[in-house]
Amino acid sequence: MLDIKNLHAKIGDKEILRGIDLHIGPGEVHAVMGPNGAGKSTLSAVLTGRPDYEVTEGSVLYKGQDLLALSPEERAWAGLFLSFQYPIEIPGVTITAFMKAAVNAKRGAQGLPELKAGDFLKLMKEKMALVQMKPEFAKREVNVGFSGGEKKRNEIFQMALLDPDLSILDETDSGLDVDALKIVADGVNTLRTPSKSAIIITHYHKLLEYVQPDVVHVLKAGRIVYTGGRDLIDAIESKGFDQF
Amino acid sequence: MGHGRYIDPFVIAGPTGNLFRVEAGQTLNLQYVVLPGESRDIDVNIDLVGPGAQAHVKVLYLSGGEEQVNIRILMHHRAPGCHSTQKIHGIAGGSARIGFHGAIVVAPDAQQTEAYQENHNIVLTPEAQVKTEPQLEIYADDVKCSHGATVGQLNADELFYMRSRGIPEAEARTLQMLSFLSPVIPEGREEEIEAAVRSL
Repeated sequence: MLDIKNLHAKIGDKEILRGIDLHIGPGEVHAVMGPNGAGKSTLSAVLTGRPDYEVTEGSVLYKGQDLLALSPEERAWAGLFLSFQYPIEIPGVTITAFMKAAVNAKRGAQGLPELKAGDFLKLMKEKMALVQMKPEFAKREVNVGFSGGEKKRNEIFQMALLDPDLSILDETDSGLDVDALKIVADGVNTLRTPSKSAIIITHYHKLLEYVQPDVVHVLKAGRIVYTGGRDLIDAIESKGFDQF
Repeated sequence: MGHGRYIDPFVIAGPTGNLFRVEAGQTLNLQYVVLPGESRDIDVNIDLVGPGAQAHVKVLYLSGGEEQVNIRILMHHRAPGCHSTQKIHGIAGGSARIGFHGAIVVAPDAQQTEAYQENHNIVLTPEAQVKTEPQLEIYADDVKCSHGATVGQLNADELFYMRSRGIPEAEARTLQMLSFLSPVIPEGREEEIEAAVRSL
């Protein structure tokens, strides 16, 4: 699914990723944990093609193609999804208009006709129910006036609707209370299939209690310094990141 | 606020000037749309002369190429209890030149005035220029007035968020521009404005 080799990236003159190697197979869920400033969010930014970040060395293959050569929208069409750490507000654009444009652009790229309005609304309703989002949110402007939990729920709703093959959840658990965390985790677990993969970026263990990863990586100073199984989560919980 | 000397700040300017007198209880609604390909001077003087008169002005401009748009609005509150709003939103591309000069003047007798003015501009290219000069002159004490002016670019975070969801860049920019213009898009002309935005 994803093959990252010796990835170096910088923003401005600051080198943040200093040689990341990461291999994710189909159906695998990987956790990337690390202290603040380790480069976790930079990794998600580079994988989704955020402008301002410059890859200086290394390669990323996604489903066998050069991911870094694709525009952000082409990456989305190829089945990549990022749940933003800080979801963006878009005043004047409703969730319905936003997601309809997104779903139909992806369908267009795949050579499929646009969804009929009725079919789209039905699909949207179904996915909103999955993350327990109230139906009236369909008419709200994207993330405008949402609480932290509502924004994160909206991210997982979008993920459910776009049905990605590789999801990156960037600090999706931050700012969530336990109830909201469970709803988000249930949403993620429902979408888990033997062919779909995910990267869960976090510095807490909370979300990982509900969404169990197959592999856990520790990211420090722009490199993956340790890789292990779920037992690593407990080790980090009790002794922190200094041990690595 | 001290009472300054109260004078008429403008004379009606030239043949393009339009003077509107709004009498007691009347409401004036003005809407201007300037589409790509047009250079225009909009020069409006509104006198609210009767108690309770209202005036609402909306201007939408979409300019590119070498186009020049000059907007001059004088909203003169001369009687008590009048209410006015001005919304001027526009997008400048190419090497367009946009000028906005908008004044709200509240006469000493025009107590209980409510007057609001907003001018928001997006500049798409380094060559396009927008100059905005909002002005408030208030000679009465019991008034609610505000004005705001911004000149900016399309928000890069919004753009990336939309693209990360698979919305192509051009489409994302169109959505952003339409949302920015939405307060001044005349009812029934949505499709025409959308086509004009796409052509910019």
